[in-house]
Amino acid sequence: MPFKFTEEFRARAEKICARYPRRDAALIPLLLEMQKEKGYIAEEGLDALALFLQIPYSRVKGVATFYTMFNHEPVGKYHLQVCRNISCHMAGSESLLGRLRGRLGIAEGETTRDGLFTLSAVECLGACGAAPVMQVNEKYFENLDEAKLDALLEELKHGRLPH
Amino acid sequence: MPTITIDGKSLEVAKGTTLLEAAQQLGVYIPRYCYHPKLSIAGNCRMCLVEVEKAPKLMTACSTEAFEGMVVHTASDRVKAARRDVLEYLLINHPLDCPICDQAGECGLQDYYMDYSLAKSRFSQADKVRRQKRRAVGPQLVLDNERCILCTRCVRFCSEVTKTSELCVVERGDHSFIDLKEGKALDNDYTLNIADICPVGAFTSRDFRFKQRVWFLKKTPTVCLGCATGCLIEAHHNENTIYRLVPRPNAETNTWLCDPGRLTYKAVQAGDRLVKGVIKNGLIDLEPALREAAARIDEARAAVAVLGSPWLSVEDNAALALLAKDALKTGNYCFDFNTEQGIKDGILINKDPAPNTNGVKLVKAAHGGLSLEELSRRITSGQVKVVLAEARAAGFIKDALKAAAPRLIAFASNRGEIPAGSYATLPYASYFEVPGTFLNYQGLRRRTAPSVEAPEGVKPLWAVINKLAAYSGTSLRLDSADEALKGVRS
Repeated sequence: MPFKFTEEFRARAEKICARYPRRDAALIPLLLEMQKEKGYIAEEGLDALALFLQIPYSRVKGVATFYTMFNHEPVGKYHLQVCRNISCHMAGSESLLGRLRGRLGIAEGETTRDGLFTLSAVECLGACGAAPVMQVNEKYFENLDEAKLDALLEELKHGRLPH
Repeated sequence: MPTITIDGKSLEVAKGTTLLEAAQQLGVYIPRYCYHPKLSIAGNCRMCLVEVEKAPKLMTACSTEAFEGMVVHTASDRVKAARRDVLEYLLINHPLDCPICDQAGECGLQDYYMDYSLAKSRFSQADKVRRQKRRAVGPQLVLDNERCILCTRCVRFCSEVTKTSELCVVERGDHSFIDLKEGKALDNDYTLNIADICPVGAFTSRDFRFKQRVWFLKKTPTVCLGCATGCLIEAHHNENTIYRLVPRPNAETNTWLCDPGRLTYKAVQAGDRLVKGVIKNGLIDLEPALREAAARIDEARAAVAVLGSPWLSVEDNAALALLAKDALKTGNYCFDFNTEQGIKDGILINKDPAPNTNGVKLVKAAHGGLSLEELSRRITSGQVKVVLAEARAAGFIKDALKAAAPRLIAFASNRGEIPAGSYATLPYASYFEVPGTFLNYQGLRRRTAPSVEAPEGVKPLWAVINKLAAYSGTSLRLDSADEALKGVRS
C-alpha cells in the first residue's frame, strides 16, 4: 500500500505552501510538520512529499538526511538528546550519557523496549552557558548533574514532562 | 565588456564570463573537479581557487564573474598552497585503490596530485572512512562511494541533462555520500556519460571495467552510426579490439553520447560476426558464395532489383547504384528513403534509427531510381526474380519479399541481421574497419575512420559489389570507394 497523506494533513500542507512564493520552498516546514505527526519521517512519507511538492524524490531525500534533527525511524515518547560538544563535555556530559546508557539499558541511537525513551548524543544545542544540557523532545534541561538527571528520569517514567 | 588581467595578460571578455572561462580563453588552465561546461556551477570542490587582488580571500574561478579591472593570479604562492590543501582534504579518505581502479591513468586526483601537490599524507591509512564499494547501480554503472569526492557532477547530470534526478547527496559533511532510492536503478539512456564526467573512479562503466588499462588505448576519432544524429565519437582500441566509445564534444551535434550508441562497437567483435558467406542457412567460403550470388544475378539480369540502404555509407550506396545502372542495366533500383528525422528524446536519440537517410538522398539525386512503393509493387507483381539489399534495409520491403518470395541476396555484417528467408548473404566490413561518408540529420558530413582491421577476407561493401559485378559479367572497375562517387555531389 503506497503511503498517502490524510485529507487533513493535505489541507494543512497546502496552507503552508501558500506562505511561500515557490511551492518547493515549503519542503523543510512540511518535513517538520510530518515529524510532528509521528515523531519521525517514514521513507514512504518522503515519496508522498515529493509527489505533493512536485519535486524529485532525490531532493527530498537529500534535504531530509542533511538535517540530523529529522528522525527516520520511530523514536520513543521521550527523545533524550544529550549534547556532547566541548562545553557540555567539559561539564560532564560524558558521564551523564554513561549514566543514561546504564539506567535505560540502551546505547545511543536506540529506543527502550517499552517505547518510552530514545537516547541520542547530539552536537551543540546552543546553550553552552548552562552546560551540561539535555534536550527532551522540544524542552531543554540545563545545568544537569546526576541527581537532577535521576529526578528527571523518574518524572518522565511517570509520564510527566516537567516545565 | 569588462577587461581583466590574468597572470599579467589582459583580456576583454563578454559580460557574465567567469574567471575560469576567461582564463581558458587565454590558455591558462585552472584545475577543477565540480565544474563542467555543460552543467550548472556548483563551486563545491574548491580546486579552482584563484587570487583576486583586493579580495580578502581566494575566489572560486568557476563561480566568480569577471568584472572590470579585476587582477587575477592563478599561480601565486597562496593559490599553490590552496590547491595543495584542497587535494590533501580530498585525499584524506580516498582509498589507495589505484592499482585496481579503472580510472587510473585518466583520474583527476592522480593528475592533479602529480601537478599540484606531491605532498605526503598526514593521515594514517587505517583511519580512512570506509564506505560501500562495488555497488552495481544500474545496467551500465558501478558506484564506489569510497572513491567519490562529492563533486556532484553526476547529481547535476541526472537532474539537468536527463532530468530524471535519480541521484542525490545524502547525509551531511563527513557522512555524506552519493545515493539513489533503494530498489531503484540508475537506468536511463545516458548513464555512461556519468562514468565519463566522474573525475575519479567512483562511477565506472560495467562494460569497460577491468578490460583494459587506459594508457594502452589508442584513440581514433570517428562517428557514431547508432542513429541519424551522427554524434562525433572517439573509438578507444588496442591490438585490434575496440574497448569503448566516448563522445567528442562539439558545438554542432553532441556533448554527450547515449548508452545504445556507446555499445554499437559490440557488433564489430560479436560472436555472430560474419566472416564467411551464407547460402540459405549454411556457411560457405566467401569466394564460392560470391560466385553463387553472381550466378543468380547473371541469370536474372534485368529482373534484378537493387535496394540502397540508409545504414550504408554514401560510397557504398553509390556502388550499389552503379551495379544496377551500369552492370546490370536494370531500372529496378531504389534509393528512396524518407524516414522522419529529428531528436526523439530532446537530448540525442533520433527518430530515425538509420545513420545515413540524408546521405542516400545524394545518391538518389545523382542516379534517380524508383520510389520505395514502386519497387515494392514491382517485387510483389513477380517481375523481379532477385533482390539485392542490405540486411536492415530489406525490412523496408519486408511485405513485398514475403508476398512474392524472390531470391534475396543480402549484405550483412552480423548473422543476427540476416533477414528471414534470404537466399544468400555476403559479409562486408563494418564502418569501424573502413572509412565511409554519412550525412547526419542536420545534413552535416560525417566521415568514419577505421580503428580496427576487418576480419581476414572481409572486404568493404563497394569491393564486394565490384566483385559481384565482375563475376556476373560486367566489370565496374572500382579501385576505391571514392571512384564509386562519380557524379554524386558530396
